[in-house]
Amino acid sequence: MSRFKNLFTALAAVVLGLLAGAVFMALSGSNPLAGFYYLFRGGLMNMERIGNTLASATTLVFTGLAVAFSFKTGLFNIGASGQMLMGGLTATAIGLSVQMPRMILLPLIVLAAAAAGALWAAIPGFLKAKFNVHEVVATIMMNWIAYWTVYYTIPAYFKGTFLETESRRIPALASFRVEWLTNIFRGSYINMGVFLALTAVIVIAIILEKTTLGFELKAVGFNRYAAEYAGIHVPKNIVLSMSISGILAGLAGATYYLGYAVNMQIGVVPSAGIDGIAVALLGANSPWGVLASSLFFGILHSGKGFMNAMTKVPPEIGDTIIAIIIYFAATGVLFTRLWERITRKWNKEA
Amino acid sequence: MKSKISVVLIGILLVLAVAGCAKKEAPAPAAPSMKVGMVTDAGTIDDKSFNQGTWEGVLRAGTEFKLDTKYLKPSGTTEADYLKEIGNLYDAGYKFIVTPGFKFETTIFQAQTKYADAKFVLIDGSPHAGDWKNVVGPNTVSIFFAEHESGFVAGVAAALQMKTGSFGFIGGMEIPPVQKFNWGFQRGVDYANKNLGTKITIKAENVIYQGSFDNVAAGQQIAASMYDKGVTVIFAAAGGVGVGAINEAKARATAGKTAWIVGVDVDQYADGIYTGDKSVILTSAMKRIDVAAFDMIKAELDKTFPGGKTLTFDAKNNGVGIPAKNPNLAPEVQAKVEEIFKLMQNGTITVPADQGTFIK
Amino acid sequence: MEYIVEMLHITKDFPGIRANDDITVQLRKGEIHALLGENGAGKSTLMSILFGLYRPDAGVIKVRGNEVAIHNPNVANALGIGMVHQHFKLVHNFTVTENIILGMEPTVGPMLQTRDAAKRIKALSEQYGLNVDPDAKIEDISVGMQQRVEIIKMLYRNAEVLIFDEPTAVLTPQEITDLMQIIRNLIKEGKSILLITHKLKEIKAIADRCTVIRRGKVVDTVDVADVAESRMAEMMVGRTVNFTVDKRDQERGEAVLSIRNLNVLSSRKTQALKNFSLDVHRGEILGLAGVDGNGQTELVEALTGLRKVESGSILFKGRDITHDDIHSRVMAGMAHIPEDRQKRGLVLDYTMEDNFILEIYGREPYSHKGFLNRKAIRDHAEKLIRDFDVRSGQGALSMGRTLSGGNQQKAIVGREIDHDPELLLAVQPTRGLDVGSIEYIHKRLVEQRNNGKAVLLVSLELDEIMDLSDRIAVISHGELTGVKLPKETNESEIGLMMAGIAGAGGTE
Repeated sequence: MSRFKNLFTALAAVVLGLLAGAVFMALSGSNPLAGFYYLFRGGLMNMERIGNTLASATTLVFTGLAVAFSFKTGLFNIGASGQMLMGGLTATAIGLSVQMPRMILLPLIVLAAAAAGALWAAIPGFLKAKFNVHEVVATIMMNWIAYWTVYYTIPAYFKGTFLETESRRIPALASFRVEWLTNIFRGSYINMGVFLALTAVIVIAIILEKTTLGFELKAVGFNRYAAEYAGIHVPKNIVLSMSISGILAGLAGATYYLGYAVNMQIGVVPSAGIDGIAVALLGANSPWGVLASSLFFGILHSGKGFMNAMTKVPPEIGDTIIAIIIYFAATGVLFTRLWERITRKWNKEA
Repeated sequence: MKSKISVVLIGILLVLAVAGCAKKEAPAPAAPSMKVGMVTDAGTIDDKSFNQGTWEGVLRAGTEFKLDTKYLKPSGTTEADYLKEIGNLYDAGYKFIVTPGFKFETTIFQAQTKYADAKFVLIDGSPHAGDWKNVVGPNTVSIFFAEHESGFVAGVAAALQMKTGSFGFIGGMEIPPVQKFNWGFQRGVDYANKNLGTKITIKAENVIYQGSFDNVAAGQQIAASMYDKGVTVIFAAAGGVGVGAINEAKARATAGKTAWIVGVDVDQYADGIYTGDKSVILTSAMKRIDVAAFDMIKAELDKTFPGGKTLTFDAKNNGVGIPAKNPNLAPEVQAKVEEIFKLMQNGTITVPADQGTFIK
Repeated sequence: MEYIVEMLHITKDFPGIRANDDITVQLRKGEIHALLGENGAGKSTLMSILFGLYRPDAGVIKVRGNEVAIHNPNVANALGIGMVHQHFKLVHNFTVTENIILGMEPTVGPMLQTRDAAKRIKALSEQYGLNVDPDAKIEDISVGMQQRVEIIKMLYRNAEVLIFDEPTAVLTPQEITDLMQIIRNLIKEGKSILLITHKLKEIKAIADRCTVIRRGKVVDTVDVADVAESRMAEMMVGRTVNFTVDKRDQERGEAVLSIRNLNVLSSRKTQALKNFSLDVHRGEILGLAGVDGNGQTELVEALTGLRKVESGSILFKGRDITHDDIHSRVMAGMAHIPEDRQKRGLVLDYTMEDNFILEIYGREPYSHKGFLNRKAIRDHAEKLIRDFDVRSGQGALSMGRTLSGGNQQKAIVGREIDHDPELLLAVQPTRGLDVGSIEYIHKRLVEQRNNGKAVLLVSLELDEIMDLSDRIAVISHGELTGVKLPKETNESEIGLMMAGIAGAGGTE
């Protein structure tokens, strides 16, 4: 019942987002119908583009899950970007320095990136549990620490032959791209991360719905006093929840830097960390909702360029339109809830 | 549980529906004339530098020869992001594609084979697979500039104008074109000190690569600290970081202090104006990117596109140099610099491209 | 007879439920008229209609004989009707005067002019014996005093009719006595009062007439003087209510809980418990009486492990559990009906079935190797819902939030008793509940005791303590002032002990 309502709310929000985007397209002198036609065509018109859409969605699934998971457990992990950077840095470091069979190397990279993300999120979790430092503040700080750590580490240890600002290219051995997948999707950036992301959705859904761990974490999230009363160790669960959230963000880093990208650049805060908040909001914090909204955002991201190429919409306006669609879709969830409240009240009075 | 499945199903249906109806559509109508596309590097189209220079060349060709022109802005700076936009241009019928900046090297390496019937102009770089073994495809032209010569002329001009004092350098990323600007500039100052009687110093602490091309705030901070240490002229070869440096110089000049900037890539005089028509831009070390872009488009129309070649734009073919008009340079300085530039063109003065004994 | 407010044949439907069905209530000028009904009987809906928050589907409202249409609360205020809400609507860092003039600030030009307002408040306070300091800040005054501020707020707005919504729910016994006097003063000065309550004793003590509502319908309007308390309870609940708790005599067993010289700090780091020692035995209900805020909360939190103990020890079944965590105390057989059911007792956004396993989700059969067993959880919930008569819209799948307060409490009581605890800590287990629920919960507590279990009952309601307890311990300022047998004491002696005057001669 409430799930159906969430789906309806999300769809209404998407429509609202698209409408807002349409208004903006019309204002910038383009035909919104043509704009949306090329936008969605750009995301989906052939196997390569579908592959690219899935590749964009992969990162968003991870960061969206990271934010949604923390939301579900009463925390606001705004530090997915930093955890993603640390996961990516760890993955890059191993990918560039360890030689071993791929069957062992890739799982090792996944585990190490997950651990790095977990650690990066566990620190704010610990500060929250122990000293009641608000996790929003702590994770933002951790984002910048990650940013500057990457900024220092890549040039110091992993720089290219004469490029200071990015790491060496990830060798094929350590890349998440695999030939058969690249071939199916005609040279797209789709990579093993897409399967990892699907697995993550399923695992997180199971944890939240079917396990005692999820039961504890959600109890702490909904009402930490009741959880404490029930004998659930609240501080432990806060750290644990942040760590799991961090694992997801760390995996986003590994699959992004070793799958979507071919090396790691310094001086960039990955926007997927922030987009994850919108993904989680639109997906009503449910793992399956995150999956669906990531696909939607993936289409927007990968279709935008084609829309720009085919219409008179300038790229800067294109970015704005995408941002507006995302913003309205995400906040649309809030709007529709408000609307429901208003109609309910109106019904009462009528 | 049912509703979970339905969420996924609806998602899949949506994807299939759009994909399905997309396939039935006819391809985009064939363009009447050549369509020229450009993918921007990090930074905006009006970055007063690389993107803008390239785009101005493309635009000029577009108006002159009545061509469709279009630029796209990638959402990030990864190879995947660049290649996506090239694909978008290609799919939209833009089969002559200009890309500014060495960061497109690996991208163009892939694109030149993937889109074999398109033409590529790679400015300031040469395609390779990530191993720096250059492979310029038959449909690609790789263009380089003699930044060291440009920096050299600017260095001589600045030294002659100031006579004494301390100079600084702010670079963006520590990459060959920026490094060559730096070394050329130092060589120019050194030349002036040795041959033209100036007494300019450049301290190692005042030669800094910020590490990006877009951190305006950092550029301003670095410039402020250099000026505080007594530097009078900063050569800012740093894109958006340089914009920050110019802002700092403007603030200081407005307050009546001495603070000059040597611009880069394009004539930045207008960007440095702080009051009336007074600018903090002493001169600019230019690369005629616009000329390069324009020339290549023209060559394609003339069916003389030099595919597979690597071209260098330098003093000899007027591909680098300082602006023709420099209101902040004394006429005799301008004249002297033109004299030296002629010596470079006829080979009397040669400027090495390497670091030599210079800083960083 | 002159009526000042009449609500005639009011009917109001909500989707699926008729909240008010042809209700008629007539308030005479100068009377105290009680509106009696269980939670959910329709009292709040009726008052919301009077205040213009809802519109009735049928029926009319007359004020001073004239038919009126009340579209919003401002209309109600203009007609001289004011309401003192159960939850006060005061700004805590404002003064009394500032709160009272909020929304109708007197100004001179752009400047706030509070001096005259303060004078008038002072005058009103004296006239009605309210004893309110206009310059005190809300955060510095007691709950009872805050209620008086709400009353003055209504008087300041020239209210002729005052409606009190469960006014004694938050007050201590002394404050209740004071409030009764204030209400009498109001009547003396010509006001008319509508009193919403489910406390029969208060109605009996103060009201002139009483309208009893059950399931949206008026049962009857009676003169309070003519009707016995038990009869009113029957009218309210719809069946005979058994007030006397059926408690057979029995010997108490050995001590299950021994508290020894316990010292505990409050959240504000003041000494909340001072060398507190007490034993609770098998087969007894030990009632802990005391004025709110005298260390009861801290004692219970220390016993359950929610609060750190500074010194002293807690022995449970002979074992020192002073530093055990909460979970192991629960597992050892300690159950806790918490003081605040919505803050601690339930996860309001969990379904009832999840709330029922809040402490025992880790046990078989509710989970196995970390995976929840939904079927076992559902069966467990359905059993508790049946056994403890927990009513909700969607049974086991109802969200905790959707249950009425009484049913939430019954669910908690059921959950805790179902653990079959050796010791049950029942903290204000019937606070804010209607007679039917109170009767039910009392029966369950006694059942525990009859089964040879120990019950520590902490309550602010002296009646409850007197009725249920085998022994009564009294706490004042964090210290035990004495332990008495109910037979050998009376309310006034316990009242004195609550005020900190030690009982003459121990009876333990």
